[in-house]
Amino acid sequence: MDILQPIIALLFFPAGLFVMGNGLAYMWVDRKLVAQYQNRIGPRWFQPLADIMKLLSKEEIIPENVDPRLFIGLPLLALACALTAALYVPLLGFQPVLSFQGDLIVTVYLLSVVTMSLALAGSNTADRFSLIGAVRTLTQLFSYEAPFLLALLGPAIVAGSWQISTINAFAGNHWIVLTQPIGFVIALIGLMGKLELPPFDAPEAETEIVKGALTEYSGRGLALFQLAKSVELVVGLTLIAAFYLGGIANPITFFLKTLILLLVLAGLQSLFARFRIEQTARWWRYASLLVLVQWVIIAVLGGKTL
Amino acid sequence: MTTLEKFIVPIGPQHPALKEPGHFEFTVDGETVTAATVRLGYVHRGIEKATENRNWTQNLYLLERICGICSHTHALCYSLGVEALAEVTAPPRAQAIRSLVAELERVHSHLLWLGVAAHEAGFDTLFMYSWRDRETIMDVLEGLTGNRVNYSAMELGGVKFDVDDKQTDTIRRGLDYLEERTHHYLKVVTTDNSFLQRTRGVGTLSREQAEDIGVIGPMARASGIARDVRVDAPYAAYAQFPVNVIVEAAGDLEARFVVRIKELFESYRLIREILEKMPTGDLTVRMPRKVKEGETISRVEAPRGEAFYFIKSGGGEKPERVKVRTPSLCNFTSVIITAPGHQLADMPMILAGIDPCFSCNDRMVVLNGESVMTWEQLRQYGIEYYSKK
Repeated sequence: MDILQPIIALLFFPAGLFVMGNGLAYMWVDRKLVAQYQNRIGPRWFQPLADIMKLLSKEEIIPENVDPRLFIGLPLLALACALTAALYVPLLGFQPVLSFQGDLIVTVYLLSVVTMSLALAGSNTADRFSLIGAVRTLTQLFSYEAPFLLALLGPAIVAGSWQISTINAFAGNHWIVLTQPIGFVIALIGLMGKLELPPFDAPEAETEIVKGALTEYSGRGLALFQLAKSVELVVGLTLIAAFYLGGIANPITFFLKTLILLLVLAGLQSLFARFRIEQTARWWRYASLLVLVQWVIIAVLGGKTL
Repeated sequence: MTTLEKFIVPIGPQHPALKEPGHFEFTVDGETVTAATVRLGYVHRGIEKATENRNWTQNLYLLERICGICSHTHALCYSLGVEALAEVTAPPRAQAIRSLVAELERVHSHLLWLGVAAHEAGFDTLFMYSWRDRETIMDVLEGLTGNRVNYSAMELGGVKFDVDDKQTDTIRRGLDYLEERTHHYLKVVTTDNSFLQRTRGVGTLSREQAEDIGVIGPMARASGIARDVRVDAPYAAYAQFPVNVIVEAAGDLEARFVVRIKELFESYRLIREILEKMPTGDLTVRMPRKVKEGETISRVEAPRGEAFYFIKSGGGEKPERVKVRTPSLCNFTSVIITAPGHQLADMPMILAGIDPCFSCNDRMVVLNGESVMTWEQLRQYGIEYYSKK
């Protein structure tokens, strides 16, 4: 039985299948909410799942002039990294499956690998839309990565630990969103940049570059990338909810807090016109500065009292 | 990468940004566009030639199908030309109804454009809202004419239907709602920061450039040129119901948004005025089967600018030549002129800014060195081709 438990934890619950299903469900909530905000009806609840199943059953076309190993391997890498990241966060309020001092950095790093493999997948093909999409993905990665990480480190500093479970436990008694509002906003918007959600969807702006880095992907590869993104959504929401919104102690708080965040996220998505990539980069410069200002405030007022 | 001299991003013939096929090649340096070319003609349908095999009345319905958005414009322009040749004038009430439908069509076209342009900027909320509100005007048009797209409101020498009090009320109610919504949209496009950073100062076409390449319609009016056929050469009922020309000086995308949205208010005002002072009388006059020999031109202000018809009659039941010049053709050059120096991300916006309509302006182009078959040779070729099969 000792061997069975980690396998279940890895493949089914709380990581693995559960987090994928949860991710697809959250994708649906996101699409439905955006549709409602835009006065549309929106998809039915199984639509994201149906999309993935349809894509998985379809032929995967490997274009000419690509390295087939990379072309097939990168979606796997992306999904694997997203699922591994899910092992380090307190899904449903349970203790993370894996945990050690400094796992926050590893989680953020794993989430970046998802984006990196997306960009690599784009530059692997000879398609012109993919190449531009890859460049934009990387540009966006460099712009939001710093403020996003800095915003997540804010709670880590006051909690005095870089271990996600410790910060989560600390946040259970402190609503850090009240003391670090700037960090909260920037972490949330950073997540939107990470997931390439509107208005930060320049890397996959369909009216300019079709589907960006993933233009040449079809079938299985596309499905895996989409799964990776939906897992990333859950992991990102969990991190922000655990750090800023008073921690996640049980399944009820998990769903409540992440769904509230998703509500805000969907609202932000439907409020703005798409940012051009250089406008995104400019925006994030200010964001980094703002987070640093907040760090100074934390330092001056004396970390742990906050 | 020294061998890579040019990195060209093709937009079209099939591309999510385009609802109809056209081909644009943007040479980019990183994200900056350095050159642009345009190629049209993917949906040439040979309508001009087809008119020569149909009688005057049949052509009315064929020409209405040139454009799916400004169908009434084409029917109106053609009718005006044929009526001028036949020396027939439609009665005042018919003229007023023609103007009424033309303005309703302008409202639907401008709202449609607003949605498309917002979508190109990645502002899907505005897209969905403006198209939802556009349904109001589509319902009005359907209630009035029975059709949503090809209204078939025209008849040579008059119009097909009358407007009764109940319909008048429906139109007025629809306009009240739309006017309120349009105020909101004007506020959005002039004050929303995220949208303004995509439109203000983007795709600027100066007055001189606009004069040089001869842009027309809202494009010209957004560059400070007061050019409007409804005012310069009033047709239908526009002499009795004068139009105020909306002009903006800036020439950028924001100005194009503002001009089109303010034109909506102007159309609402016109529609209300026409409904209020609708002349009484007949709807049609008798139209001869055969039209006198002669040539004529007719011009109509379509939602996109001036539509131009040349009609030649040999005195028979069919026209000898119908030549159509739709407004989008005049405006495509502006994309090529304004594109260099902008970001690639601005291209769909600049393209949408002219409110392009592809199928209506596509025509056959003979390039240097290509041989041209005469009608007789083509017929002979066809006979031989199929006899060999």
